[in-house]
Amino acid sequence: MTTLVARFRGLPSVQVTLAIALLVLGFLVAAQIAAEGPRIRYSTEERSPLIETSLGLQTQQEALKAQILELRGRIGALEAADPGAADSLRRLYAQLEDARLASGLIAVTGPGIAFRLQDGNAGVDSRVTARDVRTLIEELWLAGADGVAVNGERIVGASAVIDIGGSTLINSAYLAPPYTVTAIGPRDLYDRMLASASFVQFVQTRIEPAGIELGVAELETADLPAYAGTVNLRFAKPLGSEGPP
Amino acid sequence: MTRGADQPNRTIRLSSRLTVAAVAGLLGVLAVGQLNGQAGVPGLSNLSATELTQLIANLTTGNDQLRDEIAELGRQEQHLADVKNRGETTVGELTSDLDRIRAWAGLSAVRGPGIAITVRGPIGGDGVEELLNELRNAGAEAIAVSDVRLVAGVVVAGASGSLSVGNQAIGETFEIRAIGSPQILTGTLTRTGGVIAQVGATYPDARLTVTPADSMTLPAADGNLLPTYAKPRL
Repeated sequence: MTTLVARFRGLPSVQVTLAIALLVLGFLVAAQIAAEGPRIRYSTEERSPLIETSLGLQTQQEALKAQILELRGRIGALEAADPGAADSLRRLYAQLEDARLASGLIAVTGPGIAFRLQDGNAGVDSRVTARDVRTLIEELWLAGADGVAVNGERIVGASAVIDIGGSTLINSAYLAPPYTVTAIGPRDLYDRMLASASFVQFVQTRIEPAGIELGVAELETADLPAYAGTVNLRFAKPLGSEGPP
Repeated sequence: MTRGADQPNRTIRLSSRLTVAAVAGLLGVLAVGQLNGQAGVPGLSNLSATELTQLIANLTTGNDQLRDEIAELGRQEQHLADVKNRGETTVGELTSDLDRIRAWAGLSAVRGPGIAITVRGPIGGDGVEELLNELRNAGAEAIAVSDVRLVAGVVVAGASGSLSVGNQAIGETFEIRAIGSPQILTGTLTRTGGVIAQVGATYPDARLTVTPADSMTLPAADGNLLPTYAKPRL
């Protein structure tokens, strides 16, 4: 034993480093090969082109949303520029900004809270569903939240949250777990939620038995993005602005 | 003589260092590859072909709507710029934009075709929210429950028999009205295994009736809806 230790100590440090590095290298190569397994399997199935198409559409969607936000910014700047001396015009612009703020078309900041919903390890039953995300959003609204976003998608009056496999679609955007549900509201927002019987029931009867992981962080400052979807109405007309019957 | 003996040792040390450097470089590349491989396509690889097809349909429809919005915003920007260049007042453009946003946000009353869902019998807030979520998913542009206009922050909550929308209590018989395509809304809600069937199964004593309507008027939401704690991010 003493001889072995002495021989080990006698090895040049470079050789020891090299041996450790090669060991790690072997591990990484093995992990890489193992990770490649499912992809090779997918590439032989019909899902591969569907995944590629989905990815392409998601990339397009992100670019389109960025374009919408940029256009809205430019229009806002044009509307704000040189409002003139007329009080009526300034009032009109202020109303427009208020309507944008009230409806989620402007990025906002304020005190808040962030929940993280993550799938548990107990199979399908411990997956986070769209209904779980919706329930959390509803509880935040009931506790007095001013604004909510999920994984960077601002929740507005028109937002639907639907299941798609083990993931969700919100505002037509594909979101995969874990879900970060961020809200701006009063500083005691979390205390209010804990005092809500329906939130406690949600945690006790759904989150805990299913093994879903629910984390929470109270934030000094939370940022919510602007809604980047469509605000065009095809069927609903403002009262008094309808055309001839 | 001493210098001659040191030379091979130096060569060995140099080659060892180069080997370690090469291995370390390879390790780095593999580690980054591994991390990227784990981060890519989150969730997509877990979807079935049917789910992926459904996702593609949703993304395609959503992207088409975004393109329409971009076209509309482009026209609006151009028109606004033209008016400004002519030195004219922008009152008309601002008013039109304000009307559009207020209608979309629920800040003004709206009229249009749609559907009415009459609910009779005991149902919980979760059941009503399921119906509302499906209406939004089917493209409803404005929704009211028992004549309370739904906007972000207004929730139908409570157990059967003690439902409320916003701060207003509603009884066991009430109406959900939504403006949108009557055909699409009706078809989505009433399809086999659709949300009406699902909610009906959860609340078997509740009767849900869907009626298309050529025209309906939904009221504006109460209050100005301005946030109290959230401020515009500059």
